Amino acid sequence: MNNDKILLFVRGLVVLFVSHFSLVVSQAQTVMDLIREKPQYASCNYNTYPDSIVTELTPAPEGKKPFYLSHYGRHGSRYISSRSGYDIPYTMMNHADSVDELTPTGRRVLEEMRLIMADTERRWGELTNYGRKQHRNIARRMIEHFPEIFCKGARVKAISTVVPRCIESMGAAMIEMFRINPDLDITMDASKRTMWYMNYQDPKLRKYMTTEARKAYDKYTSGLLGNTRLMEIIFKNPDLVKEIVDEDYFNYYLMKMGLFQQNTDRYKDTYLQDLFLTEELYRMWQIDNALWYIQCGAYKVNGGKQPYSQRYLLRQIIADADSCFKLVSPGAQLRYGHETCLLPLVCLLGVNGFDFETDKFEDLEENGWWCSSVFPMGSNIQFVFYRRDIKDQDVLFKVLLNEVEASLPIKTDCAPYYHWKDFKDYYLKKIDAYKE
Amino acid sequence: MNRKIFIVLSAIILAGLGVKAQNVVKELKADVNRSAGTYYSLPAIKTEHDTPAPAGMKPFYINHYACPSSYYLEKGEYYNDPLAVFMKADSLGKLTKLGKDVLRQLVIVHDDAHNRTGELTIKGMAQSRGAMKLMVERFPEAFTKNGYYSARSVVQNRSILTMVESAAQLSKMFGPQTVGTRVSHGEQSFMNPQDKDLTDDRNDTLTMERYKRFAALNTDEIRLMESLFNDQNYVTINVDPYILSQQLFRLAGSIQHTELAGRITLYDLFTPEEIHRHWRKNNAWNYINYGAFKLNGARQPFLQRGVLRNMIHMGDSMLKRNNPVAHIRYTNERVIMGLACLMELNNCGLETENLDSLEHHGWADYKIAPLGGSIVMIHYRKHKDDPNILVKVLLNGREARLPMKTDCAPYYRWNDVKRYYLRKLYRYESERFNETNKTTRSNE
Repeated sequence: MNNDKILLFVRGLVVLFVSHFSLVVSQAQTVMDLIREKPQYASCNYNTYPDSIVTELTPAPEGKKPFYLSHYGRHGSRYISSRSGYDIPYTMMNHADSVDELTPTGRRVLEEMRLIMADTERRWGELTNYGRKQHRNIARRMIEHFPEIFCKGARVKAISTVVPRCIESMGAAMIEMFRINPDLDITMDASKRTMWYMNYQDPKLRKYMTTEARKAYDKYTSGLLGNTRLMEIIFKNPDLVKEIVDEDYFNYYLMKMGLFQQNTDRYKDTYLQDLFLTEELYRMWQIDNALWYIQCGAYKVNGGKQPYSQRYLLRQIIADADSCFKLVSPGAQLRYGHETCLLPLVCLLGVNGFDFETDKFEDLEENGWWCSSVFPMGSNIQFVFYRRDIKDQDVLFKVLLNEVEASLPIKTDCAPYYHWKDFKDYYLKKIDAYKE
Repeated sequence: MNRKIFIVLSAIILAGLGVKAQNVVKELKADVNRSAGTYYSLPAIKTEHDTPAPAGMKPFYINHYACPSSYYLEKGEYYNDPLAVFMKADSLGKLTKLGKDVLRQLVIVHDDAHNRTGELTIKGMAQSRGAMKLMVERFPEAFTKNGYYSARSVVQNRSILTMVESAAQLSKMFGPQTVGTRVSHGEQSFMNPQDKDLTDDRNDTLTMERYKRFAALNTDEIRLMESLFNDQNYVTINVDPYILSQQLFRLAGSIQHTELAGRITLYDLFTPEEIHRHWRKNNAWNYINYGAFKLNGARQPFLQRGVLRNMIHMGDSMLKRNNPVAHIRYTNERVIMGLACLMELNNCGLETENLDSLEHHGWADYKIAPLGGSIVMIHYRKHKDDPNILVKVLLNGREARLPMKTDCAPYYRWNDVKRYYLRKLYRYESERFNETNKTTRSNE
């Protein structure tokens, strides 16, 4: 073992120790704690990006330099994508109001709902100012973390799905990159041509709610949905009102309406959000986390194959990387898409143990399968590649999930770095073994 | 004073020369791509000169409305349908040698556009940046680090991409602190207004009859069909020459936007006269739909009244800003064309019912709203409290003539501009109001 290798080994040990230690620390923090700190953690895919996180990045492996970055990111904060989610509780409230069943609190709630509806009207699914800001910050940190990659003249190839909020997210990031380094060679595109991997929705796997899954999900959520306390503070006669207000739906969507506001310019108004107790928010998180697990995770009951919906994206990331290695300075490839791709991709890769397989929703929390940590608005996965020079055959890389170093289920002697060869070998075999 | 007279005189002379030089035939000959009309790709090259602003006046606000840059044709059928006609004819041995050659080219054009219909082309991306670069270089005082730059787009991907490319270019050139973008359905009223009552009047029976007659007089596809197909009986039974010719002409115009430009062309299928005739038909159609065509009421440009009103409103709102501001908006060709007509820029305000006379009056679609084209209003002042604001308007980069009087063309007094346009809008709105009232009353 030469000196370099020894150093690398020692560093690997240190990193392993540190990451293990941090895992212990983060495990001490429960989902309930996280929701208490930041209520919108309970809204899963409407969780806002943890923009304030400052993370220490492990120095580059000895003698190697970062030379290429490959990324898939979700668009930034947006308005709710369709009006139906808001219409449900809003209509119920209006009905209750018209028969004079609202308490003073109830009337205030209805007023808040009106404001939110007016603010959201004709903006369904659109990127918000907060969303643009998230992408500016992510882009800025990308350059700050890896100046070697984003050097003068570096190629930055950005592509987006054909959805406006993604194009605009890409735009916000690229505007910021140019502001910091006008000498970058940036190209942008958004085309139907890349949709087969940028936003692939597998028609077969879309049928994730099998009869068995539905049965298990209903059983799991049956005790979690209602909220008698809420009904009592909003309606004069909660029992009578049940004829026109479905308690389960009402509770669920009113809570969402409150939490989603954190993504908009009306984020300071937390009136609706404050109506709910942490335990109630936590119950909603449980309901949604289980649903996302059925849809994107390796849920044994519906076959455990959901993560494979992103096999094309993974193949493309591998192919892009391989072809980029042949260039002296490949720069960066940035892809802007959706959480419905990012979460299954993370599960397919098994980042931070998200390939966890189970048939019991009760196991999810204990085993760290917390979707809100993976795909908040603006969430992203970055593969950062390192090598000595273009002749270096042993390319190393690390994975950042939301800009924090993450682990993969493959062996390595230099964590958080992995050997690209091992990665390719493991994952290509894994996808090849998948039978459609 | 002498200088003023000189400027006015030279402007009049130039304008006069312009009218004479407006020879569409010559312009189409110089660049056949112009015949694509609103689908002509405006080159982002530095050709325009700027009349110096009156002493001491500096640009402080730019109000900019633009078409998207070059894009692939909107619909897949534009590529598929003519190809299908040629493939079928080929399978039956009905194509001439030229016809076979065209088939080969159609396949290339079709494949190039596959899965990209309606999307910005690579050329379009460069064009977006190029146009912004030209503008920043042309008005450096209006583009400063402490300025405020807000870009907006209608909810259509090619416009959104044009917007982000332009905004990125701004950022690249001088890195201002604020370069915002915004895409929202909530801004339709001043980005792409809708008014069904008004647009329902566009193609009434009289108008359609007039157009059909005009089109018939400008149609003769026999030569083209004979050059492409070896069996005219087959053509009679299986091909609609009018439609096929239109489809081929549309595709011919689309090639300029792609990387195929310069490598293949479909324009050589047509004689210069045929090209001119095709253009005349499309130009007349654009005039009917977006210009002040008398037969359908000469009101279609008023569809853009919300845009013009916003332009005036924003102009007034920016008067006291300390630092430069630019509102950069990307909409579609139809909005720009209607707005140019509503603002009566150059000859765009033309009111006539004679479709034959359009080109004599210089009403040519490729000069009004080509891809990459824009209407830019630039506001000038001496200092922050200067009450005498001047504006000039660029139509596709060129200083444009406005319909009100001025003693310092191409600069106009903001107050005159405002008064003229607001009166025009009020007049129209009052007419509409009276009509609606009458209808309501008669219904009662």
